[in-house]
Amino acid sequence: MDILVEMTGIQKFYGRVHALRDVNLTVRRGEIVGLLGDNGAGKSTLIKVLSGAVPYTSGSIRIKGEEVVLRSTQDAIAHGIETIYQDSALVPQLSIARNLFLGREPRRGPGLLDRMDLDAMNEVAAALLRRVGISKAIPPTTPISSLSGGERQAVAIARAMHFDSDLIILDEPTNNLGVAETQGVLRFVREARDTGHSCIFIAHNIHHVFQVVDRMVVMRRGTVVADDLSPRSSTIAEVEDVITGEHLAA
Amino acid sequence: MSDHAAPMGAPRASRLRALVAAPEFAPLVLLVGMIVVFTAINPTFMSLGNIGNALAFTVELGLIALAMTLLMTAGEFDLSVGSVFGFAPVLMWTLFNASWAPLPLAFLAAMLAALLIGWASGLFVTRLGIPSFLVTLGMLLVVRGSALWLTDGFPQRTWDAGDQWLASVLVGQVCLGGEGVGCTGGLRLYMSLLWFVLAAVLCHYLLTRSRFGNWVQATGGNPNAARNRGVPTGSVKVALFMISAAMAAFAGVISSIRVSAANPNSGAGYELEVIAMVVIGGTLLTGGRGTIIGTVIGVLILRLMRNGIVMIGVPGLAYNIFIGAIILGMMALHAALERRHNAGT
Repeated sequence: MDILVEMTGIQKFYGRVHALRDVNLTVRRGEIVGLLGDNGAGKSTLIKVLSGAVPYTSGSIRIKGEEVVLRSTQDAIAHGIETIYQDSALVPQLSIARNLFLGREPRRGPGLLDRMDLDAMNEVAAALLRRVGISKAIPPTTPISSLSGGERQAVAIARAMHFDSDLIILDEPTNNLGVAETQGVLRFVREARDTGHSCIFIAHNIHHVFQVVDRMVVMRRGTVVADDLSPRSSTIAEVEDVITGEHLAA
Repeated sequence: MSDHAAPMGAPRASRLRALVAAPEFAPLVLLVGMIVVFTAINPTFMSLGNIGNALAFTVELGLIALAMTLLMTAGEFDLSVGSVFGFAPVLMWTLFNASWAPLPLAFLAAMLAALLIGWASGLFVTRLGIPSFLVTLGMLLVVRGSALWLTDGFPQRTWDAGDQWLASVLVGQVCLGGEGVGCTGGLRLYMSLLWFVLAAVLCHYLLTRSRFGNWVQATGGNPNAARNRGVPTGSVKVALFMISAAMAAFAGVISSIRVSAANPNSGAGYELEVIAMVVIGGTLLTGGRGTIIGTVIGVLILRLMRNGIVMIGVPGLAYNIFIGAIILGMMALHAALERRHNAGT
C-alpha cells in the first residue's frame, strides 16, 4: 500500500515536559490504524500535532511524499487530514446540512450577497445521511442537538468522507455510546476505509479497536513502543501488556 | 429559522408543533395578548396617534437590538451601546456647530468613531481573551466620559438640523391621513421606521441565509468546532462589535435630530433594555442561536408595555416591575422549550 502520512522523529516539549520523544508514525492509504496507550502516553499530543492544533518542536511530516508544515487545523484540512474530536466537531444549534458545509458553504447569486445555497446543501446532506445509513426520516434541516451521540459521530464522519479527506482521525469516537450506536460508528469507519479513506482510530476500549483496525500502534511515555500489532495475530491481553509495559516485566 | 422548520410536505400536526416550538412563538403570543388587553382597557391604545408616538422611539432602540442580536448569537454582548448612543450625536453636533465640518461629514466622522470603538472592543475580546462583559463595561465608561468631557456636560443644540437634507433622510416625517403640523387624526411616521425595517430585513437575511450568518451562529454555538472548520471566529466577532457600535451611533444620531438635542447623558441604561429585548425575543444569552424576528417582537413588547401601562393608568414608575416579570417569565418559557428541543420531543 502507498504511504499516505509519514511522521519522522517528532519531538514535542511543553515547557520542560518532554511530551513526544522521537516519534515515528506511518499511515498507508486505505488503512485503519488504532492508536493505543494509557493516559499520558502522548496519543492526544501526537494527534494534535498531526491535525495542526499544536506545533511540534522538531521532526518532519510528509503527506503523499511531500514534506509539509502544519501550522493550523486549516493547514491540516487543506492537506486532506480531518480530525473528529468528540466534543468539538459539530455545532449543536446548527442543522445537519449547515454543519456538514460549515466553513465551505456553497454560495449562489452575486458574491456581494454572500448567499448560501441551502437547497444544494440540504440535498447533498440528505444523500450523505442515506449513504452512512442514518436517513431514518431525519431531515437534513434537523439541528445536531436533536441527534444521538452515534448519529453525531456519523454526521462528522460523513462530512470527512464528502470532502474527500485522505485521513480521518477519530478521537474516542465510541465514548459514552451504547452498544448499537458503537456498532454504527464502527460500520461508518469501515465504510470510510472501503471507499479509500485512511483512519487513525483512538479509543480506550480495546474491544472496539480490535473490531475495526488493520494495525495497532502503541505509545507509552511519549514514545512509540510497538507499531505493527495486528488484531489477527495478537490477543487483547497481549496488547494490554504492551500498553502497560507488563510484557517487559515478563 | 426557516430551514429548521417542518418541511412543506409534513403533516399539519407536525408543522403546528414546529411553529409552537419556534423561539418566536411565545413572544408573539405575549405581544398579541398585550395589545388585546391594553386596547380592551383603553381603546385609544390602538389610535393612530398613539401608534405613531410609540413607533418613533421604538425603532431607535430597535436598531441597536438588531445588531445586539447578531453579537449575542456569536456569544458576546456589548454594554457600551448606550454610551455610543449618547457619544456619536454629541461628536457630530459638536463638529457641525463649531463649523468644523458640514453635517454629512460630521455624520460620517461620528460613524467612523463608532466603528473604531467597536473595533477596539472586538480586539480586546478576541486578541486578549477578556470577557466582553468587562471590556464593554470599561468602554461604556470611556465613551460616556468622552461625551461628557467633550461637551462639559451640556447638551448640544441640534435645531439647525431642520433645513439639512441629512436630517430629512434620517428622521423626516410622513403624515398619513392627518391634518396640520401635528398630523391631527392621522398616523405620523418617521423615516427612521423605514431604516429600522430595512435593517431588520438585512439582519434577518444575514443571519439565516448568508454564509456570514452561518459563521456567526457557529462562533456562538461551538467556537472550537467553528475554528476547526476554518471559520475566522475572531474576525467575525470584531465585525459584529463594529456593527453593534455603528448601529448604536446611527440610532443616537436619529434620536438627537428627532428630539432636537444631543445630550451626552442620553442612552444611559439602554444596554440592559436592549439585551432584555433580545433575550425576550428568543435569542440565547449563551450564544449559538438568534432570531431577528424574535428581536423585533421583543422590541415591540417592551416599548408597547411602557406605553400601554401608562395608558391604562398604572404608574409609570411601576414599569420595571412588569419588565422584570416579563423577562423572568419568558426566560422560564424559553428554558422549558430548549429542554424539550434538546430532548427531541
